[in-house]
Amino acid sequence: MLDFNVLIPETAEPDKLWDLIILGGGPAGLTAGIYAARYKLETLLLEKSIVSGGQLTATQWIENYPGFREPVLGKKLAADMEAQAKHFGLKVISENVQSVNLVDEIKVIETDYAKYQAKTVIIATGSSPRRLGLSDEQKYAGNGVSYCSTCDAPFFKDKVVAVVGGGNTAFEEALFIAKYASQLYLIHRREEFTADRIFQDKVFAEPNIKIITNSVVTGLNFDLLVGRSLNLQNTISKESSELEVDGIFIFIGNLPNTSLFTQQVELDEGYVVTNRKYETNQRGVWAIGDVQKGVLRQVATAVGDGAGAAHQVNKYLVENH
Amino acid sequence: MPMLDEKVMSEVKKVLAAMREPVTLRLYTQELECAYCKDTHTLLDELVEANPLLKLEVINFDEVKEDAAKEGIDKLPAIVVVGERDYGIRFYGIPAGYEFSSLLNAILMVSTKIVKLTDETKEFLAKLDKPVHLQVYVTPTCPYCPPSVILAHQLAMASKMVRADMVEASEFPHLVQKYSVQGVPRTVINEKWFVEGAAPEAMVIAKIKEALLDA
Repeated sequence: MLDFNVLIPETAEPDKLWDLIILGGGPAGLTAGIYAARYKLETLLLEKSIVSGGQLTATQWIENYPGFREPVLGKKLAADMEAQAKHFGLKVISENVQSVNLVDEIKVIETDYAKYQAKTVIIATGSSPRRLGLSDEQKYAGNGVSYCSTCDAPFFKDKVVAVVGGGNTAFEEALFIAKYASQLYLIHRREEFTADRIFQDKVFAEPNIKIITNSVVTGLNFDLLVGRSLNLQNTISKESSELEVDGIFIFIGNLPNTSLFTQQVELDEGYVVTNRKYETNQRGVWAIGDVQKGVLRQVATAVGDGAGAAHQVNKYLVENH
Repeated sequence: MPMLDEKVMSEVKKVLAAMREPVTLRLYTQELECAYCKDTHTLLDELVEANPLLKLEVINFDEVKEDAAKEGIDKLPAIVVVGERDYGIRFYGIPAGYEFSSLLNAILMVSTKIVKLTDETKEFLAKLDKPVHLQVYVTPTCPYCPPSVILAHQLAMASKMVRADMVEASEFPHLVQKYSVQGVPRTVINEKWFVEGAAPEAMVIAKIKEALLDA
């Protein structure tokens, strides 16, 4: 069944002083956008891709977002959130942010193409997949190493693949990739998994998924297109082994997208430090969703953050401007 | 049942209302040995109904093979987005899923002649004197792919030296093999150089410069 997405990047006037600029168009940013637009705040959302939704778009099915008894397609949920936000007047543009000044009273956001100014900013830049840290990993990205199952699983039809990780993402994506692959090895460094039990039950029941625990990937023998393999090491016995695979998908957590903010707001291990009102240490700057320190990283929590922060921003603007 | 349902069609009409000058979609097709030629033909038939400035020209590939080869058309289905001239903007394989957006963007760009590139890139393109062929490999379900396709098409629009193809990977397994594509987007520059993922404009330009220096 073919579907057709209609996404056209818009443009925004650079000279305007916006009430609020939201950085990042995942579920957190889009929800903040919906609420801010309904408060009638002049709000601009900057998203580097032309497809809003952030990591939601790289997830096949969402099963734990309230209101959907049947699993909902990640990209559908994202597209609907964006359409809803735009319906209420949110301006969404697709530009990559180069630098920010969040310290001064008027916040300045510079993209590849223009400079935008706002009274307040919400940071909703989310996180990116964590790398294994192997020396060849970058070299084979897109050529045997993948971090996006909806993008790349079709390239491994009837092939043997490994999935690395023990959390919800690894388990969910393994179930999706297993529909293409002839054999899937799920490799985890520990004995126990952090994935929800409901995902574990499904994965264990899948006949073409084999679990390899207490093991880490130590090398990629991916020079040729055929006869590829992984080097594995058992974390307990320290024994090394080789596993023949055609490709590897890596889902071992995320790293916050905060390189823009190092001199701007307080970070801890790269994550933005916030309080219960989503405030950062910088006046007029809030942070929501995955980018925050010490939060659960789910669509449901992200949208709650978005609503809460938009409320705080509105209150701040009413009191201060 | 139409391929573009009522809801999508109304969105398409809304975005194509921004068209200014006529655009022709030149579709190269053939009856046999082309899995998506028929679907692509149906899709474009429906799409051109969205705006009177949009026309479809269907060309039987078998009858024009040699001429088509001169324009670099070597696989089917092929769509060339033509405005005032042929800017070198091509789609190989059906532009479905997220790539439908890339097609709409190409139509709007050719029709309005508005490209969004940095001054540095424009300067580089103005001085470009060697041919650059960009092939962006995609899958229709890849959310990171349209920006790479749109960027490549913008470069083609802005320079006569650049030809830019969207290539739907699943329809051309021999090319997937040839360029060892196992992840998308993957941009192939002049056959030999590669950019992985949705790289920003500056990174793609740097890679093109590298390719031209090495050539």
